Amino acid sequence: MEQPVRKQPVTVAIIEDHPVVTEGVASWIRSDPGQRVRLVQTAHDLAQLGASPPADVVILDLELSGELVTTQIPGLVTAGYRVVAFSGHSEPAIVMETLDNGAHAYVSKEEGRDHLVEAVLAAATDRPYVTRSQARAMLADQRPARPALSDQERQALLLWFQGMSKASVGRRMSISENTVRQYISRARAKYAATGRTAPSKDALLARAIEDGVIKPREITPYNSFARAAPGRPSSGAPGQVSDPGHPSFPPGVAPR
Amino acid sequence: MTALQPAAIMSGRYQRAYTLAVIFLVAGWHLAGAGGQLLRNRPDYTSFAFQCAMWLIMALAIAAGSALVLRGTPGWFPAWSVALIALGASTAAAAATPASQMLAFNWSWGSAGWIGVLVLLRRRFTELASFLAAEALAILGVQVWDGLNRTDLAGFLALLAWSTGAQMAVAAGVRALDVAAGQAAAATRREHAARERAATADVIRADRHARWLALQESAGPLVAELAAGTADPGDPQVRIRSAVQAARLRRLLAEGDEVPGSLIHELHASADVAERRGVAVEIETAGLLPQVPGPARRVITDAAIAILTAARSQARITLATVAAGIAVSFVADTGAAVPLPAAGAGVTIEQQQDGGTLWAEARWNNR
Repeated sequence: MEQPVRKQPVTVAIIEDHPVVTEGVASWIRSDPGQRVRLVQTAHDLAQLGASPPADVVILDLELSGELVTTQIPGLVTAGYRVVAFSGHSEPAIVMETLDNGAHAYVSKEEGRDHLVEAVLAAATDRPYVTRSQARAMLADQRPARPALSDQERQALLLWFQGMSKASVGRRMSISENTVRQYISRARAKYAATGRTAPSKDALLARAIEDGVIKPREITPYNSFARAAPGRPSSGAPGQVSDPGHPSFPPGVAPR
Repeated sequence: MTALQPAAIMSGRYQRAYTLAVIFLVAGWHLAGAGGQLLRNRPDYTSFAFQCAMWLIMALAIAAGSALVLRGTPGWFPAWSVALIALGASTAAAAATPASQMLAFNWSWGSAGWIGVLVLLRRRFTELASFLAAEALAILGVQVWDGLNRTDLAGFLALLAWSTGAQMAVAAGVRALDVAAGQAAAATRREHAARERAATADVIRADRHARWLALQESAGPLVAELAAGTADPGDPQVRIRSAVQAARLRRLLAEGDEVPGSLIHELHASADVAERRGVAVEIETAGLLPQVPGPARRVITDAAIAILTAARSQARITLATVAAGIAVSFVADTGAAVPLPAAGAGVTIEQQQDGGTLWAEARWNNR
């Protein structure tokens, strides 16, 4: 696919309180033709995890023992985890909160079979992966601090949400499949640049810049006056595009 | 919220009616009672012109007070300004009557008391009581100044009992009526809310019953067969049945969606038919959907029925808010292009065939 071939399989841990779901995820991982992912740990709650990440990526069920754990995600990503949320709760507000808290991707339980392994592989290299439920949440987003998406990005997200394959979306929009991926990834990268800060979001953004998905000047500075503090002369008022001569990187993102 | 409003309006209407009654009472008293007395005793006043000036000042105070109370309960400053102006004019008028004739010729005492009732009616009761007491003291002061004898004192007490008693009684009566109006309004509101709750409970109960029946006839037997081992999960037919039941369960769960309007319910009904044929249908929404008018809904659901009838095993319907309306799309494995109904009623329809998969989108714009 779009991922560069890795010599070593990506390691993954599952945090899920229902053994039958864990078993299902394990079977999807086993049935991947390229054996690109290796399951190294399963846990049924967050307390079983160590201080440092046990694997490249953790698949996190958002509801553990009847409680939503979206608020625990910032702690996990600060500790260095790459989180792929896997949940039956696909309400846009929960998806948005999950992403804002620093999860790399969101996969609903209905989408698991087709998208979970791919989402894990993308997360392992800090690349965006946008499921249809994630596109839905981005389309439904009405928060004042949401990033400004271009018409093309919005149209690509809409057609993808509607259920078209990316190749069909490309035909519909008279662009290549690769450009479709670029639009969708760019929309995701813009989300990584807004809201609360998280190392995982910075990593996604840095990789998107490196991959040429988004240019530094396309990144809207953080929508907070508090963060547009003195010492960052290149970022003006919220919503203002940075001076292209002095690309402004969010905290923690250094151009490579 | 909607149940609250009529109740508040009703209680407000009653209170306004009582206010108007008090205004008529006060104005009537000042015009007929005080004015009549003033004219009747015209030759006996030291200065009839001065008495008339005081009477006019108090008439203006009544007008100002009426304007105040018609706009709601007045603040302490405007209420007391009006009351004190009336008290001042009344005391001056009393002081300017011939000493021995004061009680007989004084017209202003009653009017001042009524003005106090008017502006202080809906403020704390102690305020009105203090005002009436201050007024009685002022009149008594004028009496003492003029030289008080036993007959005067008896007359004063008789007048005090009569006028203050009547004023307190009216004030208390209006307060009681206000409370009654509030209670009546609250009772109406409770009744309204109870009726709404009962109606909602009926709808929910009927809805739950319908869902329970639907599950009984479809998902129940399949689960029973799977449990008994008579249905083989490896069998493609059983898989399709399971997929259909899963889709129906998902749809039942989605019915708690915040989506208003009947478009989505009509699409659900169309999907139902396809599901009975073994097509797994999923319906998803993005954003708060606008209300779509009837004719436009008909065009959209006609397209849905055409596509779902042609679908072989699966279909996805999405509803998304777009700039000026709604985009309803269908992705289904129809195998070939589907003749779709004509666009119209503000709805445009587009489709694209990719291999065996059809994508179609009906867009309705509200301008």
